[in-house]
Amino acid sequence: MTRPTPRSIDEYLDQLRAALAGEDPALVQDALYDAEEYLRAELAAHPDRSEADMLELIAGSYGAPDEVAAAYLDTEARVRTALATPARRSSTSPSALRRFFGVFSDVHAWTSLFFMLLALATGIFYFTFAVTGLALSAGLSILIIGLPFFIAFIGLSRVLSLVEGRLIEALTGERMPRRPPHPGVPQGFGARIIAMLRDLRTWTTLGYFVLMLPLGVAYFVVAVVGVTLGAALILAPLWEGLRALGVALPEGGLQFDTVDPGLLTALDSPGGLALIFVVGVLLLTLLMHLARAVGHLHARIAKTLLVAG
Amino acid sequence: MDDSHARKFQKELNAGLVSLVLLSVLAASPADLYGYEIAKRLQKANDGDPLFKEGTIYPVLRALSAAGLLDSHVVPSVAGPPRRYYRITDTGRATLADWLGAWRNTRDFVNRCTETGSP
Repeated sequence: MTRPTPRSIDEYLDQLRAALAGEDPALVQDALYDAEEYLRAELAAHPDRSEADMLELIAGSYGAPDEVAAAYLDTEARVRTALATPARRSSTSPSALRRFFGVFSDVHAWTSLFFMLLALATGIFYFTFAVTGLALSAGLSILIIGLPFFIAFIGLSRVLSLVEGRLIEALTGERMPRRPPHPGVPQGFGARIIAMLRDLRTWTTLGYFVLMLPLGVAYFVVAVVGVTLGAALILAPLWEGLRALGVALPEGGLQFDTVDPGLLTALDSPGGLALIFVVGVLLLTLLMHLARAVGHLHARIAKTLLVAG
Repeated sequence: MDDSHARKFQKELNAGLVSLVLLSVLAASPADLYGYEIAKRLQKANDGDPLFKEGTIYPVLRALSAAGLLDSHVVPSVAGPPRRYYRITDTGRATLADWLGAWRNTRDFVNRCTETGSP
């Protein structure tokens, strides 16, 4: 107990933040939200008491910042252990080959691939939302309606940021906030707008929304090209095999004008078709690895830009 | 030194029991409750020396909610910040029934073991 007793709610929250320093930012945001909700409710329930008096009693009822921080870390560790998939029982470490192809049994590789496809839609939506909102805010700022419009726009962008966080946690497994950042004490329009303008997270959130368009396009293109090319290469031997058996199929396969015709003839043999099949399988497997890596990387970007550090 | 042993023992006892108490409070309440209300109800029931700090129930509520035993929704409040209300789910009620069975068995067993010798 080296720290002095906090004299105000803000001091209490600062101490709690300090006690949780270095922990997952998402966990910190949740803990701060819960504490602020409790402290403000306690303050509202006893209007006769001053904030400092109330906070002196808090160590006995809600708990000192250190105790509360410890409770969150304990519970978080226990829940994570309980929810984690049980470790594989095999005592030997899997071979490199099994690790390479094991990506197909990783749920997060599949969900990350889905995220890459979905990112085009969400990216277009976020980009449109951010650009339209900013442009209209600037345009309407000369009218009285500009103030509530800007507040509504930033409020909505915080909700979207939470939704995007939940989506990312569901699809990539990265821990994201389960509560929005606490709005703090209710204030007038002017004070709220100034606070929003000075909050770095407002701008990083909007930056994330704008960035999602190019990222979403890139993710989508890589995922679609990878899946179709890999599937086409894998199916090519089957297609040619059925044609060889006399099934009436149009002449399919890959046709490149720029590829040397001699190479195409060489590939149009049982050995060549087997090679095409192997390349297709390798390509799809690499795509799954790439999807998982993109999922991790994107979750990092999202955490940096959407969650206060 | 004795005090720290006692506190550690209390903390280990609380680890599972806080979840049981929270589920019971929510199962008994006809209306949805928010964190502060739950904390105050427990404080009333826990007159005198508190067994646990109110701040420790929030992460447990969150964990129960993540496990699907509780449902929650946020309601903006007229005075002060928005409140997160909790309600017990059907899974939560089934779990509570299981836990209560386990708790009664444990309680009877502990009583039998610790009270042997007394008439």
